[in-house]
Amino acid sequence: MDELEKIEGNERVYSLNLGPQHPSTHGVLRILLDLDGEYIVKADPVIGYGHRGHEKMGENRQYKQFLPNTSRMDYLSGMLYNHGFVLAVEKLAGIKVPERAKYIRVIASELNRISSHLLWFGTYLLDLGGITPFLYAFDDREQILDILDAISGSRLTYSYCRFGGVSRDVDMKFIEMTRAFLKRMEARWVDYEDLVTKNVIFIHRTRDVGVISLELARQYGVTGPNLRACGVAFDVRRSEPYEVYDRFDFEIPTGSKGDALDRYVVRFREMQQSCRIIDQALEHLPEGEIMTPKVPQKLSPPKGEVYTAFESARGLTAYYLVSDGSPGPYRCHIRVPSFGNLNVLNDVLPGTLVADAIAILGSVDLVIPEIDR
Amino acid sequence: MKINDIEARMHSKFPESPLNRDDTGGTGVQWSIAVPISGIRDAATEFDAAGFFLESITALDFEDTFELVYHFNCYEPGSRASVRMLCGHDEVPPSICDIFRGAVWLEREVHDFFGIKFSGNADMRPLLLPEDADYHPLRKTFGKVGAYHKREVIYG
Repeated sequence: MDELEKIEGNERVYSLNLGPQHPSTHGVLRILLDLDGEYIVKADPVIGYGHRGHEKMGENRQYKQFLPNTSRMDYLSGMLYNHGFVLAVEKLAGIKVPERAKYIRVIASELNRISSHLLWFGTYLLDLGGITPFLYAFDDREQILDILDAISGSRLTYSYCRFGGVSRDVDMKFIEMTRAFLKRMEARWVDYEDLVTKNVIFIHRTRDVGVISLELARQYGVTGPNLRACGVAFDVRRSEPYEVYDRFDFEIPTGSKGDALDRYVVRFREMQQSCRIIDQALEHLPEGEIMTPKVPQKLSPPKGEVYTAFESARGLTAYYLVSDGSPGPYRCHIRVPSFGNLNVLNDVLPGTLVADAIAILGSVDLVIPEIDR
Repeated sequence: MKINDIEARMHSKFPESPLNRDDTGGTGVQWSIAVPISGIRDAATEFDAAGFFLESITALDFEDTFELVYHFNCYEPGSRASVRMLCGHDEVPPSICDIFRGAVWLEREVHDFFGIKFSGNADMRPLLLPEDADYHPLRKTFGKVGAYHKREVIYG
């Protein structure tokens, strides 16, 4: 105990390890906290426990062989990461994608975004002490997993996209299941609104807690819902529309204060917007091919580089690929959003209560294996 | 558009440096500029003043040199630009962590993977690697490697 205590003047600073195995860190994250009583003086996140070397793996494999890796970085939005990687390689190699495949990818990606947000919704409220919403959210999420399982064959680590299309076509059953899910959620949003968003205890736990100012967000490169909670409508789906996102009518929810409650509201409304996108995409889903014919088995893109950004569930994600003309990339760098979103906590946590630290950690929606790569 | 303002300022700040514009949008950046190693702090200061955020820092390992690539973006549509600088295998580039606070971790990551030290960044502890790591896995001299090229092989 003595080693953990430092006495500076009249102050006694106590060092506490939050994690690496802590239920609220959602992954192997350790935060070294210096405490003055119940208040945090200094926070030093220690990461890297889940480092698997995905970038190195990308560089000593062929493009095709790296596909399964992509959905294992952020295992909660595997479809989005998978989608982003094929976008990057298609751009690098100049492969065209059929319209139908673009629509299917968008539907699958948005379903995945909702499932990721639902998991966050459930576990965040669990962290704050509410068990019931967790059970509801997982019930809803299960519907999505069933839908995605039906088309991709897996529940979590989808490797559904291919260079030039998608691996399997969707059928009427998929469309019916997705429509049924959208219908089900309409009633659920009302329930959640009554049960959680208007819950006094929840509001008191999150309002004005963990405020990330816009300037702080910019300094640390915070993106995604955490940035939009500060009031900036910055979304890659709007600022650099990829696939067919420019054809859909959807809003980008924003907050105003940048506190935990705003982050909650932004994510909550984002799920509803994703439902709108899926609805429109199903409406206009064209007939036709799902794969471009004659994509070579062994891709050798021309020399050059590409930086492709896309909006994952947690923010701006990008693949930076450099090709030397060989069947594998010379450099494969991945810009992950949780990196900046966790980094900013170095500045946000000091001055807050330990109990609030849990509310803040949950509200930024971290997926640690994505940061560690 | 902030991206046009910053382009003009980069032109006046680095008249010698080539600025490559990408009109096709194929590379994902509007333009990239190659600055000398001493110019990165000036460039970062300009981007900071113009309201940009630092998206990523990464390095490329070539047989003859490192190349550091900084991606900047702002909250306007299609506004990404990159700043590139060549950095010899023994050179120590200046840190920009006092300009962009998020750079502390990004530079630590580059140091982890490539062994590039940044002068002015006081915190060079390993970030993603174990604390006693004395290797730099993304160097082309480490582990299984496809190819190790000179820079001109790819960028001509």
